[in-house]
Amino acid sequence: MTSTVVRASGLTKRYGSFAAVDHVDFALEEHRIYGLLGRNGAGKTTLMQLLTGQLFPNEGELEVFGRTPAEHADVLRRLCFIAESQRYPEDFTPKHVFTSAPWFFENWDAEFAERLIADFRLPVKRRIKKLSRGQLSAVGVIVGLASRAPLTFFDEPYLGLDAVARHIFYDRLLEDYAEHPRTIVLSTHLIDEVANLLEHVILIDQGRILLDRDAEEVRGQATTIAGARSVVEEFVQGRPIIGREGLGGLASVTIDGRLEREERIRAAELGLELAPVSLQQLIVHLTGADLAGATEKEVAA
Amino acid sequence: MTAVATATAERELGASRLRVGEIWRIVRLLAVNPTIFFGVPWMILGGAWAVTMVLALIMTGAGAPMEEAREGFRYSWAVLSPQWYLVVVGVQAVAYTFSFALGFGSTRRDFWLGMSVMFVLVSAEMAVAIATLVQLEQLTNGWWIGAGMFDALWYGQLGWGFDFLSTFVLQLLVLFVGASATTIYMRWRVRGMMVLLFGTVALVLILIASLTFTESWPAVWTWLVGLTPIGLVLLGLAAAAVAAVAGFLVIRRATPR
Repeated sequence: MTSTVVRASGLTKRYGSFAAVDHVDFALEEHRIYGLLGRNGAGKTTLMQLLTGQLFPNEGELEVFGRTPAEHADVLRRLCFIAESQRYPEDFTPKHVFTSAPWFFENWDAEFAERLIADFRLPVKRRIKKLSRGQLSAVGVIVGLASRAPLTFFDEPYLGLDAVARHIFYDRLLEDYAEHPRTIVLSTHLIDEVANLLEHVILIDQGRILLDRDAEEVRGQATTIAGARSVVEEFVQGRPIIGREGLGGLASVTIDGRLEREERIRAAELGLELAPVSLQQLIVHLTGADLAGATEKEVAA
Repeated sequence: MTAVATATAERELGASRLRVGEIWRIVRLLAVNPTIFFGVPWMILGGAWAVTMVLALIMTGAGAPMEEAREGFRYSWAVLSPQWYLVVVGVQAVAYTFSFALGFGSTRRDFWLGMSVMFVLVSAEMAVAIATLVQLEQLTNGWWIGAGMFDALWYGQLGWGFDFLSTFVLQLLVLFVGASATTIYMRWRVRGMMVLLFGTVALVLILIASLTFTESWPAVWTWLVGLTPIGLVLLGLAAAAVAAVAGFLVIRRATPR
Protein backbone atom coordinates (compact mmCIF):
# COMPACT_ATOMS: atom_id res chain seq x y z
CA MET A 1 0.00 0.00 0.00
CA THR A 2 2.38 2.65 1.18
CA SER A 3 5.53 3.37 -0.73
CA THR A 4 8.83 4.62 0.52
CA VAL A 5 9.59 8.25 -0.26
CA VAL A 6 13.03 8.59 1.31
CA ARG A 7 15.64 5.94 1.90
CA ALA A 8 18.95 6.77 3.59
CA SER A 9 21.74 4.45 4.61
CA GLY A 10 25.05 5.38 6.17
CA LEU A 11 24.27 9.02 5.36
CA THR A 12 27.07 11.27 6.65
CA LYS A 13 27.81 14.99 6.47
CA ARG A 14 31.05 16.25 7.97
CA TYR A 15 32.34 19.76 8.57
CA GLY A 16 36.06 19.24 9.03
CA SER A 17 36.37 16.66 11.79
CA PHE A 18 32.87 17.38 13.13
CA ALA A 19 30.14 15.03 11.90
CA ALA A 20 26.84 16.94 11.80
CA VAL A 21 25.09 13.82 10.50
CA ASP A 22 26.88 10.60 11.36
CA HIS A 23 26.12 7.33 9.51
CA VAL A 24 22.37 7.64 9.67
CA ASP A 25 19.93 4.99 8.39
CA PHE A 26 16.21 5.59 8.05
CA ALA A 27 13.26 5.58 5.68
CA LEU A 28 10.21 7.82 5.26
CA GLU A 29 6.93 6.31 4.09
CA GLU A 30 4.37 8.07 1.94
CA HIS A 31 1.50 10.01 3.59
CA ARG A 32 2.72 10.17 7.16
CA ILE A 33 3.58 13.00 9.54
CA TYR A 34 7.08 12.65 10.91
CA GLY A 35 8.58 14.51 13.83
CA LEU A 36 12.27 15.14 13.48
CA LEU A 37 13.14 15.87 17.08
CA GLY A 38 16.33 16.79 18.82
CA ARG A 39 18.13 19.49 20.71
CA ASN A 40 19.61 22.59 19.11
CA GLY A 41 22.55 21.59 16.96
CA ALA A 42 21.56 17.91 16.95
CA GLY A 43 21.72 17.80 13.14
CA LYS A 44 18.04 18.30 12.24
CA THR A 45 18.56 21.11 9.73
CA THR A 46 21.62 19.46 8.20
CA LEU A 47 19.60 16.27 7.67
CA MET A 48 16.79 18.21 5.97
CA GLN A 49 19.28 20.08 3.80
CA LEU A 50 20.71 16.74 2.68
CA LEU A 51 17.23 15.41 1.91
CA THR A 52 16.42 18.48 -0.20
CA GLY A 53 19.69 18.41 -2.13
CA GLN A 54 20.95 21.66 -0.62
CA LEU A 55 23.95 19.89 0.90
CA PHE A 56 26.03 17.10 -0.57
CA PRO A 57 26.68 14.09 1.70
CA ASN A 58 30.27 12.98 2.37
CA GLU A 59 29.28 9.34 2.59
CA GLY A 60 26.31 7.03 2.32
CA GLU A 61 23.36 6.43 0.07
CA LEU A 62 20.36 8.73 -0.24
CA GLU A 63 17.29 8.28 -2.40
CA VAL A 64 14.37 10.70 -2.48
CA PHE A 65 11.55 9.59 -4.79
CA GLY A 66 13.97 7.00 -6.11
CA ARG A 67 16.90 9.30 -6.95
CA THR A 68 19.63 11.42 -5.43
CA PRO A 69 17.89 14.75 -4.77
CA ALA A 70 20.73 17.18 -5.59
CA GLU A 71 20.39 18.74 -9.06
CA HIS A 72 17.50 16.48 -10.10
CA ALA A 73 14.63 18.74 -11.09
CA ASP A 74 12.08 15.92 -11.19
CA VAL A 75 12.79 15.16 -7.50
CA LEU A 76 13.13 18.76 -6.31
CA ARG A 77 9.80 19.86 -7.78
CA ARG A 78 8.07 17.51 -5.36
CA LEU A 79 9.77 19.02 -2.29
CA CYS A 80 9.14 22.13 -0.24
CA PHE A 81 11.63 23.27 2.37
CA ILE A 82 11.64 26.75 3.83
CA ALA A 83 14.45 26.72 6.40
CA GLU A 84 14.05 28.37 9.75
CA SER A 85 17.02 30.62 8.85
CA GLN A 86 15.91 30.97 5.21
CA ARG A 87 17.56 33.77 3.23
CA TYR A 88 15.29 35.89 1.10
CA PRO A 89 16.28 38.08 -1.87
CA GLU A 90 17.15 41.69 -1.09
CA ASP A 91 14.13 43.85 -0.20
CA PHE A 92 11.71 40.92 -0.49
CA THR A 93 8.27 41.11 1.07
CA PRO A 94 5.90 38.20 1.86
CA LYS A 95 3.88 39.36 -1.16
CA HIS A 96 6.87 38.64 -3.43
CA VAL A 97 7.19 35.17 -1.87
CA PHE A 98 3.54 34.30 -2.48
CA THR A 99 3.56 35.79 -6.01
CA SER A 100 6.48 33.62 -7.09
CA ALA A 101 5.45 30.44 -5.23
CA PRO A 102 3.01 29.17 -7.92
CA TRP A 103 5.85 29.21 -10.49
CA PHE A 104 7.69 26.65 -8.37
CA PHE A 105 4.93 24.54 -6.78
CA GLU A 106 2.49 23.04 -9.26
CA ASN A 107 -0.08 22.24 -6.55
CA TRP A 108 -0.01 25.78 -5.10
CA ASP A 109 -3.44 26.82 -3.78
CA ALA A 110 -3.59 30.63 -3.88
CA GLU A 111 -6.97 30.78 -2.15
CA PHE A 112 -5.71 28.66 0.72
CA ALA A 113 -2.65 30.92 0.98
CA GLU A 114 -4.90 34.00 1.15
CA ARG A 115 -6.92 32.43 3.93
CA LEU A 116 -3.79 31.57 5.88
CA ILE A 117 -2.40 35.10 5.45
CA ALA A 118 -5.61 36.44 6.99
CA ASP A 119 -5.53 33.81 9.76
CA PHE A 120 -1.97 34.66 10.73
CA ARG A 121 -2.56 38.42 10.19
CA LEU A 122 0.65 38.54 8.19
CA PRO A 123 1.56 42.02 6.87
CA VAL A 124 2.35 41.03 3.29
CA LYS A 125 3.81 44.37 2.22
CA ARG A 126 6.31 44.69 5.03
CA ARG A 127 9.90 43.83 4.22
CA ILE A 128 10.97 40.35 5.37
CA LYS A 129 13.84 41.93 7.32
CA LYS A 130 11.34 43.94 9.40
CA LEU A 131 9.11 40.98 10.30
CA SER A 132 9.04 39.60 13.82
CA ARG A 133 10.27 36.06 14.46
CA GLY A 134 6.70 34.78 14.61
CA GLN A 135 5.72 36.52 11.36
CA LEU A 136 8.80 35.06 9.69
CA SER A 137 7.76 31.59 10.86
CA ALA A 138 4.28 32.26 9.46
CA VAL A 139 5.76 32.93 5.99
CA GLY A 140 7.42 29.49 6.04
CA VAL A 141 4.30 27.81 7.41
CA ILE A 142 2.05 29.36 4.73
CA VAL A 143 4.41 28.32 1.91
CA GLY A 144 4.66 24.82 3.39
CA LEU A 145 0.90 24.39 3.67
CA ALA A 146 -0.26 26.07 0.44
CA SER A 147 2.41 24.43 -1.75
CA ARG A 148 0.93 20.96 -1.05
CA ALA A 149 4.26 19.42 -2.08
CA PRO A 150 4.32 15.60 -1.86
CA LEU A 151 7.22 15.91 0.61
CA THR A 152 6.98 19.01 2.78
CA PHE A 153 9.42 20.08 5.48
CA PHE A 154 8.56 22.42 8.31
CA ASP A 155 11.71 23.64 10.05
CA GLU A 156 10.92 24.82 13.59
CA PRO A 157 7.47 26.11 12.52
CA TYR A 158 6.50 27.15 16.04
CA LEU A 159 9.41 29.52 16.58
CA GLY A 160 7.98 32.81 17.84
CA LEU A 161 4.36 31.93 17.03
CA ASP A 162 1.83 32.99 19.64
CA ALA A 163 -0.69 30.53 21.12
CA VAL A 164 -3.44 31.44 18.63
CA ALA A 165 -1.11 31.10 15.64
CA ARG A 166 0.16 27.73 16.90
CA HIS A 167 -3.43 26.54 17.15
CA ILE A 168 -4.18 27.76 13.61
CA PHE A 169 -1.15 25.89 12.24
CA TYR A 170 -2.20 22.71 14.06
CA ASP A 171 -5.80 22.90 12.78
CA ARG A 172 -5.00 23.85 9.20
CA LEU A 173 -2.30 21.23 8.87
CA LEU A 174 -4.53 18.37 10.02
CA GLU A 175 -7.49 19.65 7.97
CA ASP A 176 -5.49 19.97 4.78
CA TYR A 177 -3.55 16.77 5.38
CA ALA A 178 -6.84 14.84 5.58
CA GLU A 179 -7.94 16.24 2.20
CA HIS A 180 -4.54 16.18 0.50
CA PRO A 181 -2.42 13.46 2.05
CA ARG A 182 1.34 13.92 1.70
CA THR A 183 4.52 13.23 3.60
CA ILE A 184 5.32 15.84 6.19
CA VAL A 185 8.51 16.24 8.19
CA LEU A 186 8.28 18.60 11.14
CA SER A 187 11.51 19.50 12.85
CA THR A 188 11.34 21.03 16.28
CA HIS A 189 12.85 21.15 19.73
CA LEU A 190 9.50 22.27 21.21
CA ILE A 191 8.27 18.71 21.55
CA ASP A 192 5.14 18.97 23.69
CA GLU A 193 3.70 21.52 21.24
CA VAL A 194 3.70 19.07 18.34
CA ALA A 195 3.43 15.75 20.17
CA ASN A 196 -0.23 15.21 19.18
CA LEU A 197 0.42 15.94 15.51
CA LEU A 198 3.05 13.30 14.99
CA GLU A 199 2.54 9.82 13.65
CA HIS A 200 6.15 8.84 13.74
CA VAL A 201 9.11 10.08 15.73
CA ILE A 202 12.73 10.29 14.67
CA LEU A 203 14.97 11.47 17.47
CA ILE A 204 18.40 12.72 16.54
CA ASP A 205 21.25 13.68 18.83
CA GLN A 206 24.84 14.54 17.97
CA GLY A 207 24.25 13.49 14.39
CA ARG A 208 22.95 10.03 15.24
CA ILE A 209 19.43 8.63 15.36
CA LEU A 210 18.51 7.59 18.91
CA LEU A 211 14.93 6.62 18.22
CA ASP A 212 12.94 5.88 15.06
CA ARG A 213 9.52 4.59 16.03
CA ASP A 214 5.78 4.98 15.69
CA ALA A 215 4.58 7.84 17.90
CA GLU A 216 1.91 5.72 19.61
CA GLU A 217 4.49 3.14 20.56
CA VAL A 218 6.82 5.82 21.86
CA ARG A 219 4.13 7.37 24.03
CA GLY A 220 3.57 4.14 25.96
CA GLN A 221 7.13 3.05 25.77
CA ALA A 222 8.59 4.34 29.00
CA THR A 223 7.33 4.25 32.56
CA THR A 224 8.34 6.18 35.64
CA ILE A 225 8.39 4.28 38.93
CA ALA A 226 8.42 6.31 42.12
CA GLY A 227 8.55 5.35 45.77
CA ALA A 228 10.98 4.53 48.57
CA ARG A 229 14.52 4.41 47.20
CA SER A 230 15.41 0.87 48.24
CA VAL A 231 12.12 -0.57 46.97
CA VAL A 232 12.39 1.27 43.64
CA GLU A 233 15.98 0.17 43.14
CA GLU A 234 15.10 -3.44 43.76
CA PHE A 235 12.11 -3.28 41.40
CA VAL A 236 14.01 -1.79 38.47
CA GLN A 237 17.01 -4.08 38.77
CA GLY A 238 17.92 -5.57 35.41
CA ARG A 239 15.71 -3.19 33.45
CA PRO A 240 16.97 -0.57 30.96
CA ILE A 241 17.07 2.61 33.00
CA ILE A 242 16.93 5.88 31.08
CA GLY A 243 16.51 8.35 33.91
CA ARG A 244 16.97 8.61 37.63
CA GLU A 245 15.96 11.30 40.08
CA GLY A 246 16.05 11.23 43.84
CA LEU A 247 15.24 13.32 46.88
CA GLY A 248 16.20 12.02 50.33
CA GLY A 249 14.87 8.52 50.77
CA LEU A 250 12.60 8.82 47.72
CA ALA A 251 13.53 7.91 44.19
CA SER A 252 11.91 8.15 40.77
CA VAL A 253 13.35 6.00 38.03
CA THR A 254 12.30 5.94 34.38
CA ILE A 255 12.69 2.70 32.51
CA ASP A 256 12.51 1.94 28.79
CA GLY A 257 9.74 -0.52 28.05
CA ARG A 258 6.22 -1.44 29.07
CA LEU A 259 5.31 -3.24 32.27
CA GLU A 260 3.30 -6.44 32.06
CA ARG A 261 0.10 -6.84 34.07
CA GLU A 262 1.69 -8.97 36.81
CA GLU A 263 4.50 -6.46 37.18
CA ARG A 264 2.01 -3.65 37.61
CA ILE A 265 0.24 -5.60 40.32
CA ARG A 266 3.53 -6.34 42.07
CA ALA A 267 4.48 -2.65 41.93
CA ALA A 268 1.15 -1.70 43.49
CA GLU A 269 1.69 -4.29 46.24
CA LEU A 270 5.13 -2.82 46.94
CA GLY A 271 3.54 0.63 47.29
CA LEU A 272 5.21 2.06 44.16
CA GLU A 273 3.62 4.67 41.94
CA LEU A 274 3.62 4.21 38.16
CA ALA A 275 3.27 7.13 35.77
CA PRO A 276 3.30 7.37 31.97
CA VAL A 277 6.05 9.44 30.40
CA SER A 278 5.23 12.22 27.96
CA LEU A 279 7.09 12.40 24.67
CA GLN A 280 8.96 15.45 25.88
CA GLN A 281 10.01 13.80 29.15
CA LEU A 282 11.15 10.71 27.30
CA ILE A 283 13.24 12.76 24.93
CA VAL A 284 14.77 14.78 27.73
CA HIS A 285 15.72 11.47 29.32
CA LEU A 286 17.15 10.15 26.07
CA THR A 287 19.15 13.23 25.16
CA GLY A 288 19.93 14.75 28.55
CA ALA A 289 23.57 15.77 28.55
CA ASP A 290 24.71 13.82 31.63
CA LEU A 291 22.92 10.69 30.48
CA ALA A 292 23.69 10.80 26.77
CA GLY A 293 26.63 8.39 26.99
CA ALA A 294 24.84 5.73 29.01
CA THR A 295 21.65 6.12 27.02
CA GLU A 296 23.13 5.38 23.65
CA LYS A 297 24.26 1.91 24.66
CA GLU A 298 20.95 1.08 26.27
CA VAL A 299 18.89 2.18 23.32
CA ALA A 300 21.12 0.27 20.97
CA ALA A 301 20.78 -2.84 23.14
CA MET B 1 -6.80 13.86 -14.48
CA THR B 2 -5.46 17.10 -15.88
CA ALA B 3 -2.90 17.37 -13.12
CA VAL B 4 -1.52 13.95 -14.00
CA ALA B 5 -1.44 14.79 -17.71
CA THR B 6 0.45 18.03 -17.10
CA ALA B 7 2.90 16.27 -14.86
CA THR B 8 3.67 13.69 -17.55
CA ALA B 9 4.06 16.34 -20.22
CA GLU B 10 6.44 18.27 -18.03
CA ARG B 11 8.44 15.19 -17.25
CA GLU B 12 8.88 14.56 -20.97
CA LEU B 13 10.00 18.14 -21.38
CA GLY B 14 12.42 17.65 -18.49
CA ALA B 15 13.92 14.63 -20.19
CA SER B 16 15.14 16.86 -23.02
CA ARG B 17 17.52 18.58 -20.52
CA LEU B 18 16.44 22.02 -21.73
CA ARG B 19 13.79 23.00 -19.22
CA VAL B 20 12.57 26.31 -20.57
CA GLY B 21 9.89 26.77 -17.91
CA GLU B 22 12.28 26.02 -15.07
CA ILE B 23 14.82 28.52 -16.39
CA TRP B 24 12.30 31.25 -17.20
CA ARG B 25 10.79 31.11 -13.69
CA ILE B 26 14.20 32.14 -12.32
CA VAL B 27 14.09 35.21 -14.58
CA ARG B 28 10.64 35.97 -13.19
CA LEU B 29 11.83 35.41 -9.63
CA LEU B 30 14.69 37.88 -10.13
CA ALA B 31 12.25 40.38 -11.64
CA VAL B 32 9.40 39.92 -9.14
CA ASN B 33 10.77 42.96 -7.34
CA PRO B 34 11.60 45.09 -10.42
CA THR B 35 13.29 47.88 -8.44
CA ILE B 36 16.48 45.81 -8.08
CA PHE B 37 17.31 45.33 -11.76
CA PHE B 38 15.27 48.06 -13.42
CA GLY B 39 14.39 50.69 -10.84
CA VAL B 40 17.57 51.55 -8.99
CA PRO B 41 19.96 51.74 -12.01
CA TRP B 42 17.66 54.33 -13.57
CA MET B 43 17.33 56.24 -10.33
CA ILE B 44 21.12 56.46 -10.14
CA LEU B 45 21.37 57.46 -13.79
CA GLY B 46 18.53 59.99 -13.37
CA GLY B 47 20.18 61.47 -10.30
CA ALA B 48 23.52 61.82 -12.12
CA TRP B 49 21.71 63.43 -15.06
CA ALA B 50 19.98 65.95 -12.78
CA VAL B 51 23.32 66.90 -11.20
CA THR B 52 24.89 67.31 -14.65
CA MET B 53 22.02 69.56 -15.77
CA VAL B 54 22.32 71.76 -12.69
CA LEU B 55 26.10 71.98 -13.21
CA ALA B 56 25.57 73.00 -16.83
CA LEU B 57 23.09 75.69 -15.80
CA ILE B 58 25.52 77.07 -13.20
CA MET B 59 28.32 77.12 -15.77
CA THR B 60 26.27 78.93 -18.43
CA GLY B 61 24.94 81.27 -15.74
CA ALA B 62 28.51 82.11 -14.74
CA GLY B 63 29.22 82.84 -18.38
CA ALA B 64 31.59 79.97 -19.14
CA PRO B 65 32.21 79.53 -22.86
CA MET B 66 29.87 76.77 -24.13
CA GLU B 67 32.47 75.01 -26.27
CA GLU B 68 34.94 74.58 -23.42
CA ALA B 69 32.19 73.40 -21.09
CA ARG B 70 31.16 70.70 -23.55
CA GLU B 71 34.79 69.63 -23.77
CA GLY B 72 34.96 69.38 -19.97
CA PHE B 73 31.84 67.23 -19.81
CA ARG B 74 33.58 64.66 -22.04
CA TYR B 75 35.58 63.61 -18.98
CA SER B 76 32.50 63.09 -16.83
CA TRP B 77 32.06 59.50 -15.56
CA ALA B 78 28.38 60.06 -14.75
CA VAL B 79 27.27 57.76 -17.57
CA LEU B 80 29.00 54.85 -15.82
CA SER B 81 27.44 55.55 -12.41
CA PRO B 82 25.09 52.51 -12.35
CA GLN B 83 27.98 50.08 -12.93
CA TRP B 84 29.07 49.94 -9.31
CA TYR B 85 25.54 49.26 -8.16
CA LEU B 86 25.22 46.45 -10.70
CA VAL B 87 28.25 44.64 -9.26
CA VAL B 88 26.29 44.54 -5.99
CA VAL B 89 23.21 43.27 -7.83
CA GLY B 90 25.31 40.41 -9.22
CA VAL B 91 26.62 39.60 -5.73
CA GLN B 92 23.15 39.66 -4.17
CA ALA B 93 21.63 37.45 -6.87
CA VAL B 94 23.93 34.62 -5.78
CA ALA B 95 24.16 35.44 -2.06
CA TYR B 96 20.39 35.73 -1.44
CA THR B 97 18.23 34.76 -4.40
CA PHE B 98 20.23 31.56 -5.02
CA SER B 99 19.57 30.29 -1.47
CA PHE B 100 15.92 31.16 -1.82
CA ALA B 101 15.55 29.47 -5.23
CA LEU B 102 17.04 26.26 -3.81
CA GLY B 103 14.42 26.35 -1.04
CA PHE B 104 11.77 26.65 -3.76
CA GLY B 105 13.12 23.52 -5.46
CA SER B 106 15.23 24.96 -8.29
CA THR B 107 18.40 23.20 -9.40
CA ARG B 108 21.70 25.07 -9.31
CA ARG B 109 21.99 24.60 -13.05
CA ASP B 110 18.59 26.14 -13.80
CA PHE B 111 19.28 28.99 -11.40
CA TRP B 112 22.55 29.94 -13.11
CA LEU B 113 21.03 29.68 -16.60
CA GLY B 114 17.99 31.74 -15.59
CA MET B 115 20.18 34.33 -13.93
CA SER B 116 22.35 34.52 -17.07
CA VAL B 117 19.25 35.14 -19.20
CA MET B 118 18.28 37.92 -16.78
CA PHE B 119 21.77 39.46 -17.04
CA VAL B 120 21.62 39.43 -20.85
CA LEU B 121 18.16 41.05 -20.82
CA VAL B 122 19.17 43.77 -18.36
CA SER B 123 22.42 44.49 -20.21
CA ALA B 124 20.57 44.76 -23.53
CA GLU B 125 17.97 47.08 -22.01
CA MET B 126 20.62 49.36 -20.50
CA ALA B 127 22.65 49.31 -23.72
CA VAL B 128 19.73 50.24 -26.00
CA ALA B 129 18.70 53.05 -23.65
CA ILE B 130 22.17 54.54 -23.13
CA ALA B 131 23.15 54.32 -26.81
CA THR B 132 19.88 56.05 -27.72
CA LEU B 133 20.33 58.73 -25.05
CA VAL B 134 23.78 59.51 -26.50
CA GLN B 135 22.11 60.17 -29.87
CA LEU B 136 19.41 62.30 -28.24
CA GLU B 137 21.98 64.34 -26.36
CA GLN B 138 23.87 65.04 -29.58
CA LEU B 139 20.64 65.85 -31.41
CA THR B 140 19.47 68.34 -28.77
CA ASN B 141 22.97 69.79 -28.46
CA GLY B 142 23.26 68.86 -24.80
CA TRP B 143 19.61 69.00 -23.78
CA TRP B 144 19.36 72.56 -25.16
CA ILE B 145 21.70 73.95 -22.50
CA GLY B 146 24.99 72.42 -23.55
CA ALA B 147 25.09 69.78 -20.81
CA GLY B 148 26.98 66.57 -21.50
CA MET B 149 26.50 63.32 -19.67
CA PHE B 150 25.95 60.48 -22.15
CA ASP B 151 28.09 61.92 -24.93
CA ALA B 152 31.22 61.42 -22.80
CA LEU B 153 34.33 59.20 -22.57
CA TRP B 154 34.25 56.83 -25.56
CA TYR B 155 30.55 57.37 -26.24
CA GLY B 156 29.21 59.28 -29.20
CA GLN B 157 32.29 58.76 -31.41
CA LEU B 158 31.63 55.55 -33.31
CA GLY B 159 27.87 55.56 -33.69
CA TRP B 160 24.88 53.92 -32.04
CA GLY B 161 26.04 50.38 -32.79
CA PHE B 162 29.35 50.69 -31.00
CA ASP B 163 27.80 52.52 -28.03
CA PHE B 164 25.26 49.72 -27.75
CA LEU B 165 27.85 46.96 -27.98
CA SER B 166 30.30 48.52 -25.53
CA THR B 167 27.61 49.19 -22.90
CA PHE B 168 26.15 45.72 -23.34
CA VAL B 169 29.53 44.04 -22.82
CA LEU B 170 30.54 46.24 -19.89
CA GLN B 171 27.21 45.58 -18.16
CA LEU B 172 27.46 41.85 -18.72
CA LEU B 173 31.04 41.79 -17.43
CA VAL B 174 30.20 43.71 -14.28
CA LEU B 175 27.18 41.50 -13.44
CA PHE B 176 28.99 38.22 -14.10
CA VAL B 177 32.13 39.21 -12.19
CA GLY B 178 29.98 40.06 -9.13
CA ALA B 179 27.95 36.86 -9.41
CA SER B 180 30.78 34.44 -10.10
CA ALA B 181 33.05 35.84 -7.35
CA THR B 182 30.14 35.22 -4.95
CA THR B 183 29.81 31.59 -6.08
CA ILE B 184 33.33 31.07 -4.67
CA TYR B 185 32.06 32.29 -1.31
CA MET B 186 28.94 30.10 -1.53
CA ARG B 187 31.05 27.03 -2.19
CA TRP B 188 34.20 27.53 -0.08
CA ARG B 189 33.13 30.37 2.25
CA VAL B 190 35.78 32.70 3.71
CA ARG B 191 38.66 30.35 2.91
CA GLY B 192 37.68 30.40 -0.75
CA MET B 193 37.51 34.19 -0.80
CA MET B 194 40.97 34.41 0.77
CA VAL B 195 42.43 32.06 -1.82
CA LEU B 196 40.74 34.06 -4.58
CA LEU B 197 42.05 37.36 -3.22
CA PHE B 198 45.63 36.26 -2.56
CA GLY B 199 45.65 34.15 -5.73
CA THR B 200 44.69 37.16 -7.83
CA VAL B 201 47.28 39.37 -6.17
CA ALA B 202 49.98 36.71 -6.63
CA LEU B 203 49.02 36.24 -10.27
CA VAL B 204 49.22 39.97 -10.97
CA LEU B 205 52.63 40.20 -9.26
CA ILE B 206 53.96 37.22 -11.21
CA LEU B 207 52.69 38.78 -14.43
CA ILE B 208 54.36 42.13 -13.65
CA ALA B 209 57.60 40.40 -12.66
CA SER B 210 57.78 38.23 -15.76
CA LEU B 211 56.96 41.15 -18.06
CA THR B 212 59.61 43.30 -16.36
CA PHE B 213 62.37 40.67 -16.39
CA THR B 214 61.74 39.67 -20.00
CA GLU B 215 61.55 43.40 -20.85
CA SER B 216 58.34 42.86 -22.78
CA TRP B 217 56.48 45.96 -21.53
CA PRO B 218 56.95 47.84 -24.84
CA ALA B 219 55.47 44.86 -26.70
CA VAL B 220 52.48 44.85 -24.35
CA TRP B 221 51.88 48.58 -24.84
CA THR B 222 52.11 48.24 -28.60
CA TRP B 223 49.60 45.43 -28.47
CA LEU B 224 47.23 47.42 -26.28
CA VAL B 225 47.48 50.57 -28.37
CA GLY B 226 47.11 48.50 -31.50
CA LEU B 227 43.79 47.08 -30.30
CA THR B 228 40.84 48.43 -32.24
CA PRO B 229 37.84 49.62 -30.21
CA ILE B 230 35.98 46.51 -31.41
CA GLY B 231 38.92 44.36 -30.32
CA LEU B 232 38.66 45.82 -26.82
CA VAL B 233 34.93 45.14 -26.68
CA LEU B 234 35.51 41.55 -27.80
CA LEU B 235 38.16 41.18 -25.09
CA GLY B 236 35.57 42.32 -22.53
CA LEU B 237 33.02 39.91 -23.94
CA ALA B 238 35.52 37.05 -23.63
CA ALA B 239 36.19 38.00 -20.00
CA ALA B 240 32.43 38.05 -19.26
CA ALA B 241 32.06 34.62 -20.88
CA VAL B 242 34.94 33.23 -18.80
CA ALA B 243 33.33 34.58 -15.60
CA ALA B 244 29.95 33.10 -16.63
CA VAL B 245 31.35 29.64 -17.35
CA ALA B 246 33.55 29.62 -14.23
CA GLY B 247 30.58 30.67 -12.07
CA PHE B 248 28.48 27.88 -13.55
CA LEU B 249 31.12 25.26 -12.74
CA VAL B 250 31.56 26.53 -9.17
CA ILE B 251 27.86 26.91 -8.33
CA ARG B 252 27.05 23.33 -9.34
CA ARG B 253 28.43 22.18 -5.95
CA ALA B 254 27.72 25.35 -3.94
CA THR B 255 25.63 25.18 -0.76
CA PRO B 256 23.27 27.86 0.53
CA ARG B 257 23.88 29.74 3.75
